[in-house]
Amino acid sequence: MRLQRLYSLVLLVVSINASAQELKVDLSYNYIYSNQLDKIIQTYNFSRPFLTEKQPLLMNGLNTSVSYIFKNERHLNYGINVAYSYFRSVAENENMTTTLQLNFLKLGYFLHYENPAKWKGLYSDLIISATSSGLFRNVNGEAFVYDEATSKAFGIGGELNLKLGYYLQLKNRTYVSLFISFAYTPYLYSPNNEVVINQTKGLCAKNWTSILGAQIGLAVHLRQEKND
Amino acid sequence: MKRRDFIKHSAFFSIGGLLLPSVVLSSCRKETLFEDIDFKGNVIIIGAGAAGLYAGYLLKSKGIDFKIIEASNAIGGRMGKLEGFADYTIDTGAQWLHGKNNILADLIQAKNVQTTLDETELSYWFNNQIVTTLPQDPFIFEAENLPDVSFKDYAHQKGFGTEYDAIVEAIAGDQGASASHLSAYWNSKDEENWVSGDEDFKFQQSYFEVIEEHIAQPILDQIILNTPVQSIDYSTNKVIVQDVNNVSYSADRVIVTVPISILKLNEITFNPALPSEKTEAFEKFGMGPGMKVFLKFSSKFYADALYGGTICGAYVDDTVGKSTSDKVLLAFIMGDQAAYLHSLGSDTAITNALLQELDGMYNGQASASFIASSVFDYTAKPFIKGAYGFSTIEMGNAREIAAQAINKRLYFAGEAMNINGHHQTVHGAVESGYNAVVNFINDSKK
Repeated sequence: MRLQRLYSLVLLVVSINASAQELKVDLSYNYIYSNQLDKIIQTYNFSRPFLTEKQPLLMNGLNTSVSYIFKNERHLNYGINVAYSYFRSVAENENMTTTLQLNFLKLGYFLHYENPAKWKGLYSDLIISATSSGLFRNVNGEAFVYDEATSKAFGIGGELNLKLGYYLQLKNRTYVSLFISFAYTPYLYSPNNEVVINQTKGLCAKNWTSILGAQIGLAVHLRQEKND
Repeated sequence: MKRRDFIKHSAFFSIGGLLLPSVVLSSCRKETLFEDIDFKGNVIIIGAGAAGLYAGYLLKSKGIDFKIIEASNAIGGRMGKLEGFADYTIDTGAQWLHGKNNILADLIQAKNVQTTLDETELSYWFNNQIVTTLPQDPFIFEAENLPDVSFKDYAHQKGFGTEYDAIVEAIAGDQGASASHLSAYWNSKDEENWVSGDEDFKFQQSYFEVIEEHIAQPILDQIILNTPVQSIDYSTNKVIVQDVNNVSYSADRVIVTVPISILKLNEITFNPALPSEKTEAFEKFGMGPGMKVFLKFSSKFYADALYGGTICGAYVDDTVGKSTSDKVLLAFIMGDQAAYLHSLGSDTAITNALLQELDGMYNGQASASFIASSVFDYTAKPFIKGAYGFSTIEMGNAREIAAQAINKRLYFAGEAMNINGHHQTVHGAVESGYNAVVNFINDSKK
């Protein structure tokens, strides 16, 4: 019952705005590569032979996003997008289990292209996002605190993301799609990542990083057709 | 495609998509630097202080052949222990873990070493009385855009009268310096990179024993004691290190971890001579006199921590964090005050000078309850000759230049060579030690 109500509410939100014609929610596996983050973790692992279990690199995570597409009669539409990604790295050592948690929150504007006459079911999104990141360190299940403050590093930057998907109609207005995407963050200013991970500043990394990312996942689309 | 087929395919590709990247791509990225080290040469580390010991400990863990050559008859450098003076082991050198966000705090956590947060409240000897607050807060040296003048001059510029001089001297003493030599500007620049935290911790056992047990113990058989080095010849592919007995040691890489005072005094000859830029950088470092005197009393008549003595800038209860019934007061003396006490020439004279000052502060109770003292004059130690390196006026980027490697064969480490704001600390020395190892392995790959 609750799910049905939620579904109805979402459809209502879609339909009350004449130009808001598609709501998309997705969940994906997210892979990232950041040379600077790798270097910091590698230095941390190299410099601490007393920790036999190495800290895994931050690379595998989950991403979820919600997108609103403002459709018109052309193939190219635009929309806005909010995305959240989460990455985790755990090293379990005697007396010291260290967990790194990396979060990204992105607010994006995107161009959505689909041409059913030519490529039925295929679509692509080109997303430009403002990105913020938050990196946290837990030790033995608790936030690592020193000087009465949590060890944390925030970052800010921009991301470019190209998404390709293929969808199929499930219900009247409901579609599901499988998609892949490739993301590039050319600049993420995050001066304290090294402080959180390797507990140094300016020893092994720059105060910014670039990130390459890839995602594969599923999206649910709730569409309002023109004549609804 | 039917809906059911689509869902099947989606599930298949999703699972494949999840597994493939994490398996294939993960295997391309290594969790640690130099997972496959192909350096087959040998390394000589000069100095068995914290930096040298940690560099050796790291090399051993990576299977690299090395030896540590130490001038004195003991490991530890500016760390040491005193047993039998009290019913606990006293740290005669470094004794506080400065902050919790550093590599040694990780070691301590991993090895379950017990520490205690030092929450000692400061008191001051001010206008001939002991007070717990001052009319003006003298901790003014961590602000931004300070002028490149001495602590003492800056305090005067900010309106602190001469009655604050001894307290400012004690604050500078924390940096191992005299207030008249420590640069307000460059010290504050150093502080900008300090990320370890401001809390100080003391060890239930001694700090020295922690380093000895967990870092030095595994490499003791690689340490050669009583071997002062007199020259380093790096003119050929092999670096030749010669000790004062003219015994030569050959190595592919050398890590020099001796105190900056030894480099400033040219006590080791380099062939070819070090670049002038490097020696000029050494010259810009300050490394003032330093002394620790432990005073044992029959009663605790003194404040937990008192700043502002004119003979000794800082008196600190040494038993904080220890399981003891003994009363031991540490006189922590740096800079000009240490130079003065050093000039008195004997431990007895030094102790008497301190007791006299304490008697003045505590109405004669010091002499009345005095039991024994133990003096550790680091200025008098022939292979140390001071406290620790500090930033002087016009310091500039001397620290970065001093720490740079030469010809990819000669590397420098030690607390003074820490380029990330953690100099003057044991964990800073450790960081410089592992950084030298990272640098030489990196250079060897190129």
